[in-house]
Amino acid sequence: MKIGLEIHVQLPTRSKLFCSCATSAEEPNSSICPTCLGFPGSRPALNRRALEMGVQIAQYLNCQITPTIWFSRKTYFYPDLPKNFQITQYDSPLGTDGHFHSRGKRIGIWRVHLEEDPGRIKRVGKSGEEVSLIDYNRSGIPLVEIVTAPDMSSPDEARTFITEILVELRHIIGTTASDEQTVRVDANISVGEERVEVKNIQGMRHLERALKFEASRQAKMLEAGVKVVRETRRYDEERKVTLSAREKETEEDYGYIGEPDLGTFDLLKVASVLTTSETPLRMAQRLAGHYVVDFDKAKQIVITSMAMAELFERLAEKVDPELAMTWTLGPISSHWGSIEPRLTEKVIGDVVRVVSQVADREITDSEGRRRISAIAAGECPEDISCAVEDTLLDSLISQYLDEHPNVVKDYASNPKASNAVIGHVMKASKGKYNSQEIVEAVRKEIEKRL
Amino acid sequence: MSCLPTADKLRDLNERYLAFSEISPSLEEAQGYPPPFHFSAKDNLCAKGFQARAGSRILEGYRPPFDATPVAKLRAAGGVLLGKTNMDEFGFGTFCTNSGYGIPRNPFDLERACGGSSGGAAAAACMLDGHIALGVSTGGSISCPASFCGVFGLTPTYGRISRYGLIDYGNSLDKVGLLVRRSEDLRRFLPIISGADPKDPTSCAQPPLRLERKSIRTVAVPKQALQNLSPEVEEGFEHALGRLEEQGVEIMQVDMPSLRFALSAYYVLATSEASTNLARYCGMRFGVRGGSISQHYNDFFTEVRSEHFGREAKRRILLGTYARMVGYRDRYYMKALSVRQLVISEYQNVFGRSDLVLTPTMPFVAPRFSEIEKMRPLEAYQADFLTVPPNLAGLPHLSLPCGYADALPMGMQFVAPHWEEGRLLDMAESWSKGFQFRFPEVCR
Repeated sequence: MKIGLEIHVQLPTRSKLFCSCATSAEEPNSSICPTCLGFPGSRPALNRRALEMGVQIAQYLNCQITPTIWFSRKTYFYPDLPKNFQITQYDSPLGTDGHFHSRGKRIGIWRVHLEEDPGRIKRVGKSGEEVSLIDYNRSGIPLVEIVTAPDMSSPDEARTFITEILVELRHIIGTTASDEQTVRVDANISVGEERVEVKNIQGMRHLERALKFEASRQAKMLEAGVKVVRETRRYDEERKVTLSAREKETEEDYGYIGEPDLGTFDLLKVASVLTTSETPLRMAQRLAGHYVVDFDKAKQIVITSMAMAELFERLAEKVDPELAMTWTLGPISSHWGSIEPRLTEKVIGDVVRVVSQVADREITDSEGRRRISAIAAGECPEDISCAVEDTLLDSLISQYLDEHPNVVKDYASNPKASNAVIGHVMKASKGKYNSQEIVEAVRKEIEKRL
Repeated sequence: MSCLPTADKLRDLNERYLAFSEISPSLEEAQGYPPPFHFSAKDNLCAKGFQARAGSRILEGYRPPFDATPVAKLRAAGGVLLGKTNMDEFGFGTFCTNSGYGIPRNPFDLERACGGSSGGAAAAACMLDGHIALGVSTGGSISCPASFCGVFGLTPTYGRISRYGLIDYGNSLDKVGLLVRRSEDLRRFLPIISGADPKDPTSCAQPPLRLERKSIRTVAVPKQALQNLSPEVEEGFEHALGRLEEQGVEIMQVDMPSLRFALSAYYVLATSEASTNLARYCGMRFGVRGGSISQHYNDFFTEVRSEHFGREAKRRILLGTYARMVGYRDRYYMKALSVRQLVISEYQNVFGRSDLVLTPTMPFVAPRFSEIEKMRPLEAYQADFLTVPPNLAGLPHLSLPCGYADALPMGMQFVAPHWEEGRLLDMAESWSKGFQFRFPEVCR
């Protein structure tokens, strides 16, 4: 079985690909303008940020970056497509001939290109009296399309591939998994000779189901000696089946020509100034190699949160990496919802100290777990060093307030009076505490004295 | 003397000549009247307060919510927009006989055409002294009517004037330009409407205008341009060359074999682009409303397009769609792109030896409507063989009156290197010295 995917990912730019309309809007048809409605006389102008994100993706996927690119017009008539042509890339994609390693398997990436999203059609009303409504808010939202080689050999492999690639892409472009509706996939699948395209699958769950259904449909046909016809199908999410959309004897003819309004772009120049921070899966690989821990566990950490992965790395520098892994995926992970929002350098230090104490058998496992939940709750874990440090902070504040009693008096009428204390403590503690902690401690101490 | 008619006068005049497809209803009420100057916009340039129909019935009722950049710039300079000028539908025509809103008449002779596609603009410039007519050229649509109506028609370098607000014909060829009676108006108004505009990225690569005056020393005349001319144009052009030599300009004959292919390449590229540009007209979001929406989308838009596009628009959609289909794309569209490069380099070669290239503008004077009716489409296309090459190459060019035959004007066309509009203005001014311009007295 061969499966190849065309993945469309919306890029989270603030404005659309070719106009300055906002990409987020509540009311239908509220974020539209002459350009994204294709009004005569309007004209596109490229959003540079979208181009950069596209190039970053192509670079990440090890593509050959095309030195000079231009855009093309893909002409077809559909009510959600205001100009009745889509501005996309045909002869000169952003990148070609890349690859991505998914669970050790090399999946070829044929091309990565940029294009505009059409509007959205919504059918309302009961069957027989349906009405189509069109919302053009989506018209012109930037999409990156990634076309893979047919290198996946099962629906399961395809799901793993897309899950992994999305983890990476989300990191690169800065979106979260909750934006899943922004990913649409066309899948080409062939069990025998002829391939079938299943179009416009939304969401990962649906992708695996659609592929499984289509694989078994084709297998059954072949078993029964029926010829599989080359066609385009769509996935019916309600009934969980694929249905024929139209027969596809030959490639559809979109009559591509260049888009003269946008000119050409020197991608090598664009690419030369782009930097991408370490992506989750690359970090997982590095952690697994460097600290000799299980890759799947490392992956689990990075997928949960890159901040958790960084915390793990701090632990692994101090204690046995296996123990660091156990504590990261155990107590830390179970309190992650509370820990992550207050993850300061001090909290990281507290966590490292607790786990180190467990490693040194200074405290028991259960005492360690208790202290982790204390940290998560924002309390001070009752270990000595921590107590000492907090005494230091408190004593610096108390000492200053004792010497400057006016501060407390002034504070009652003007809370800004506390700034003097904060400044003093910051200087005296030499950056040991972050400003938020100091502000909080000063406020508590002054209010005690009011 | 500048001629500024009242709105009523203009409407009376227009009943005879049909130069305007829409006239401002309340000219005299505008603030600061009389204005420092008055102008018109070809109907494919968007202007707030007016419809923009590009000569097409399918755009009936389209009121763009914005000004095209050159319109906005002229308004900002204090100009008053008299109205929108008549044109061949979407710019598709050589005689301005393909408009959905009547056929403009040549001010020199009501039985003759104004030329296309900026026919209304040329007629307006010819009739109203001091008038600034914004025209648009894709393959010669400024030069041709300027020649037939005896006015200056300046088509700047592709990308010199923003196309924001221009209803597209062929985006890689479309250029906004000026039609005026007097050469000094070119020098005054070209800088006003030029310049980079972020709303049209193709306008952002331009170098500044170079307008310091220099005299033109050498002009090249391609021998390919002297074929298929009518006797009166041949004679008039010979006479004009003699006058140039008297003014101290050296004329040299050159060989430009690629000019022969320009026309074919132009029609392939222009119609390919046009067929995609016209895809948006489907009776839904602007212009004419389609009929019943309770039918298949294909039937819905086919109905609207069949009914409201003119014959020439349909012909060019079919031609252009054909040229970009799989199997034909390489043979026509891609080949035409390389011919364009060939034509550009041949011009560049000639500009190494001469300041300007010169040809007659049109092979004949303004034809009678009865003659045009007898022409087959291909004959009409071939009439553009002198105006198409500089347009295909994106080179700035200027048609100006070079003589008169039987009281009808004829034009010659100078072509300059990219971004060297200044040379055309210099030429226009030196030619104008002592030249007896003739204009019909229709606006009193």
